Order: sequence, then structure tokens, then C-alpha cells
Amino acid sequence: MAKDTLTCKKCVLDSKTPGISINANTGLCQFCEHYTPLSKEKKEEYRSRMDKLLKSPPKQGKYNVIFALSGGVDSSYTLHRLHKEYPHLKILAVQFDNGFISDTALENAQKFCDLTKSTYMRLALDQTILQDTFSKAARSTDAYPGSAKYRASDICNTCISIIKQKIIELAVSTKSPFIVFAFSPGQTDAPFVTLTKPFLVWMRKLFEGNLTAMGVAERDAYLIDARLIQSGSSEPQVTIIHPFLVWDYNKPKFKKECIQLGWIDPDLKDHNSSNCLLNAFAIKNHLDKYHIHSYAYDMAALVRQGNMKREDALQKLKVDASDTSIEEVQRKLNL
Amino acid sequence: MSEILEDVRYFLKTEGFLNEKISLKENDSLTETGVIDSIILLQLVDFLESKYKIEIPVEMLTPENFDTLAGINQSVMKLKKG
Repeated sequence: MAKDTLTCKKCVLDSKTPGISINANTGLCQFCEHYTPLSKEKKEEYRSRMDKLLKSPPKQGKYNVIFALSGGVDSSYTLHRLHKEYPHLKILAVQFDNGFISDTALENAQKFCDLTKSTYMRLALDQTILQDTFSKAARSTDAYPGSAKYRASDICNTCISIIKQKIIELAVSTKSPFIVFAFSPGQTDAPFVTLTKPFLVWMRKLFEGNLTAMGVAERDAYLIDARLIQSGSSEPQVTIIHPFLVWDYNKPKFKKECIQLGWIDPDLKDHNSSNCLLNAFAIKNHLDKYHIHSYAYDMAALVRQGNMKREDALQKLKVDASDTSIEEVQRKLNL
Repeated sequence: MSEILEDVRYFLKTEGFLNEKISLKENDSLTETGVIDSIILLQLVDFLESKYKIEIPVEMLTPENFDTLAGINQSVMKLKKG
């Protein structure tokens, strides 16, 4: 680290990251300077709203919840806790096979579906086209706008956007009232998002623009079926819920509890993912292109909120160049 | 500059990624300039609701209403008038 690099004394953001400024007087980044923690009342309000929604879900389809399950710690724990707190819920757990999921993550996902009596669905797209898309994401620059670059790498933004589009499509087409994502409180700020057609059309258009900028020709397979949101189609009755904005977030505790339930630690070298082999390469690729660690903003928020120790976050942000998965991914993506 | 626009600019500087390098005009797209993404958009809605004691109906979340400073200004003014 250069001598003149300042690191926020509260979180982990530093002045060498483009767009981040550290106030020399306070020693804080612009986000910590203006941070207001979520009040207890607000958190209780969220809790009560989530209970109200999930305790008596509208009877409008075969499933109450479409759940995005990666097989990692956060989503495995969320699925288990959803079932524990709301055992009546009929959950369709969808695991997106991006071609780089570890075998352990596949096993963990199926195991937690059995445990929670959820229906398991493996969502697979054409692997050759998908690899080509990730390859284009890795080679692209500025396909995603500024703010998105801080939330995830270009590769992860592509993968997450595909998952969001396909899960929403599934919820709308099966008339499922809720979608649950196990995003950490560092990854999202809105506990509930009610979906409307204009909003979905906008989100679809934005992602289509990102794919076009990357040079992806076959985009339709990654996007919400346009017929579901065109004018004249019925208004979607779907709400997205992010439970980690309602529950306390304590990853080490979740991991311990998951292991007790039979979850297997895949022992990947990557500090930031317990399910995806693509992740370590995606982080390195993003750092090389933009000098932004794609987990820094997420980790910084978790530290700021008191959901993670600063030293643990700093440890997670270390990039292990010796991770052999990086070379394997490069080979697989023809880079 | 209206009070609403000042508040939105303040929010985008502190929560979004608006900085001195981006010269944002009132009709520039906030998503295309990278100042907001869908997540910051939802935070902005929350901020405006608390600040102005209004409720922004989800049907209003369209690019016409929320992708530019001018659109946001107009939408908030309309909701404030009730």
C-alpha cells in the first residue's frame, strides 16, 4: 500500500479506491461520516412486516416463496431459518448452475432442501453460451455503471442479474407471492421490494443494456420473459424479501449452526465465497480493471453496521494470488 | 436550485457515487451515468419518503419519474401537494 493511502478508521475503504475519499481530519470515509444506524423501532417494524407477510401468505400459486439458494452459508442458513420460523411455507429453492458451483455447494443445497422440505430446482442454462458471457464480462470495461462496480465484479453482477431476472420470471409465472434473497445487510438496504410492471421493465432494460455493452448477442435467455411484463399482461403480485435486514447478521454463528445441521465447508481458498469457483477470478479481474475490490463496499458496510469485525473484513479483502482456481477459470473462459 | 434537488444531490453524494468528476445535469440519466443502480434507487425512495413525509407508490418507480433529477423533483413536488 502506498504511503499516502488513507484507510477509513471505522470501516475498510481506502483512498486508493476510485471514488472513495477519506476526511483527513476525521479519518472517516464519506459513507462512515454520514452513517446513521438503523433504529431499534425501524428494525421491529421490519420484523413485524415480515411476520405479517410470511405468516399468512396469499393463496395465489403452488409455492409461497421462490428462494435463491446458492448452497453457501448465508442462503443455506436463511432457508433453514425460514423453515424453522415459518414451517407452513411452501418453498421452491432455486440453485442457479453457472457452471462453476462447487460440488459441495450442490450437495449442501440438496441437503438443506431435504432438511427444510423445500422443493429443489437446479436452474441451468446453455453452459457454452454462459461461459462466453462470463468471458465477455471479464473482458469488458464499463459495461456496468459506477455504482454497480462497487457492489460486485462485472462477472458477479452478470451472474446475479441473470439469477434475479430468472427468479422474478419464475415467481411471476408461477404466481408465487414472495421471492427471498439471502443478501447480506452490506449488499442491500431495502428489506422489502414490491415489484411492479414499470419497475420490472426498467430493470430488464438496464440489464439488457449491460449485456449489449459487453457484446452479448443472445440476451433473451438471461432476461425476464418480456411477455410477462408487456402492457396488457396482469400486474405481478410479488414482493422481494431480504431477511438479513430483519434478522441479526452473524456469519460465524450461521456457519456453526449450518455445520451442525450437516452443511459441509467446501474449503475454498477464496475468503468471500463458499460456493462459487468463479469468484476468486472475478475479484482479481475487477481489481485489475478498476482497482476496486468487489467486496470492499459490502465488507465496509458490514463493519460500519457492527455486523463484522474490522480485522476480519481486512483479512477477507486479501487477494490470494496463489489460488489455483484463478488459472483454471481463466483457461475455462479462454482468457 | 430547489430544496428537493439540493437534498437529492446531497443524498447522491453521501450514499451514491456522485462526485465532483461527474457534472450531472437535471435531465441526465442517473442510471446511465452510474450515479445510482436499482439498490441506491430504493434507498433514495426511502430517503425521500422520510424527508418529505410522503409515500411514493411503487407504480411511480419508472425512468420518467426517477431516472433524472428533474423527474425526481417533479414527482416529489406532486406527492407533496397530495
